[in-house]
Amino acid sequence: MFKTQVMEINMGPQHPSTHGVLRLKLGLDGENVKSCYPIIGYLHRGVEKICENKAFFQGQVWTDRMDYCSAVSNNLGWAEALEKLFGIRVPRRARYLRTMLNELNRLNSHLVWLGTHAMDIGALSVFLYTWRDREKILDVFEAFCGSRLTTTAMRIGGLQEDVPEGFEKMVRDAFESVRIGIQEYETLLSENRIWLKRTVGIAKLSADDCLAYGVTGPILRAAGVAYDIRKAHPYAAYDEMKFEIPTRTEADTYARYLVRLEEMRQSIHIVEQCLEGLPEGPVMAKIPKTLKSEVGEVYHPTEAPKGEIGFYVVSEKGGVNPYRFHIRTPGFLNVQAIPLMLQDALVADVVTAVGTLDVVLGEIDR
Amino acid sequence: MKKFLKTLIPTELAKGLLLTGKWFCQVMFSPNRGKSKLHIVDEYPEVPAKVQPRFRGRLQLLKDAQDEIICVCCMACIKACPTNAISLVAGKKEGRKTRIPESYDFELERCIFCGFCVESCTFNAIALNHQFELAVYNREDMAIGLGGVFQSIDKPSPVGKFSYSGKE
Repeated sequence: MFKTQVMEINMGPQHPSTHGVLRLKLGLDGENVKSCYPIIGYLHRGVEKICENKAFFQGQVWTDRMDYCSAVSNNLGWAEALEKLFGIRVPRRARYLRTMLNELNRLNSHLVWLGTHAMDIGALSVFLYTWRDREKILDVFEAFCGSRLTTTAMRIGGLQEDVPEGFEKMVRDAFESVRIGIQEYETLLSENRIWLKRTVGIAKLSADDCLAYGVTGPILRAAGVAYDIRKAHPYAAYDEMKFEIPTRTEADTYARYLVRLEEMRQSIHIVEQCLEGLPEGPVMAKIPKTLKSEVGEVYHPTEAPKGEIGFYVVSEKGGVNPYRFHIRTPGFLNVQAIPLMLQDALVADVVTAVGTLDVVLGEIDR
Repeated sequence: MKKFLKTLIPTELAKGLLLTGKWFCQVMFSPNRGKSKLHIVDEYPEVPAKVQPRFRGRLQLLKDAQDEIICVCCMACIKACPTNAISLVAGKKEGRKTRIPESYDFELERCIFCGFCVESCTFNAIALNHQFELAVYNREDMAIGLGGVFQSIDKPSPVGKFSYSGKE
């Protein structure tokens, strides 16, 4: 008498909980998600092609604008890739400062993630607290780099400027706030029954699936694989730092939340090590004014807050700009796993799955 | 039994409410709360906003002690600019050995505030000042230059009231 059929619904590209312009084509049977198909590309600007047409040093400003929550990490990956290509050795002080900025950026990115993810699921007050703490970290960026979001922090061969006056006090003040903040987020969320109902066992992605899809970052670590490029292929000054890689085995949204919270604590730990052991010396290596490349190709992966970000650069002889410039962004591969995470899920869990991946469409479409 | 009581009495929710309530009361009932340390929001349009010394705002041509433009038209900033926001025409002036810009056009629409132009300048002739309120009423006003039809490169934006004009 009654006939049921799968209804196709578009979630996004303008849906507030998709964090940008991600479009999900959902096949719904009532409340149950039968199929899910992510469609990306609404924010495509052709960053890779633009970088090929600009001088080597100019490409940095587009890496700022890819993942706007973690501009420094993108800058760092970009700078290290080009330093590898040109064979430049960065001074030790610059490497320490880079590590420090990168970890501050990881804190910033995770705070943004926690606030927006919790708000998607329904815990609005966490958002206000994370934004309070994030503000202090952004002030540190403004003092060091001159800008809050589009930092343009690195230069090929080091950093543009040394630390500003009163920098250490500023960072320590920010940490005082963030430390109390992390405790508060735990009070608000970790045992909260609504939070547990919405996250435990939701959007599972097993370690095998992660490896098959190339998913990296906290999602991989929450599935039990202790893979972190900071330890596996140390760059900047990470080989001199003491820190742990937090892992969980549950592979669900709650595990990812715990992994990221622990990562924030580790980041504070790393920055404090950098502040204590900051070596003296220059922050910029001696490099020629115009960089001319030899024939070569280089791939350099670094650990951005969202996963592995890698820069692949091909150069030709005497070139002032890269011949080919490819960016492997973490979000691009992570977002492909959404259909797997949403097998036999409810519509409400779609929001959780998108939120837990920490998608920023600027880097996915780039 | 214990588990049943635990589901019945939402202690963890109460803890969360207590936390938010504590912050609310601390801020709400602190004397002189606009100046209290807990009050973390700036009263921005009423109180002028402060930026850090390295903040990158709008491009500005600097002048020396004799109130003359320092720029000698070496074109380094034009080469460094990733978005081609700057263009200039070199000219000459009596009694000056070096060249002087006849026109120095800077398109605010295109500028991305990266600061590469300032870094490339070996004469310290340009700077990104601390001005951040860059809205204008007409699109034509986005073109900034030395005079004529352009908005003056030395003056603040017609809409900006609070931000700092001039270097440092």
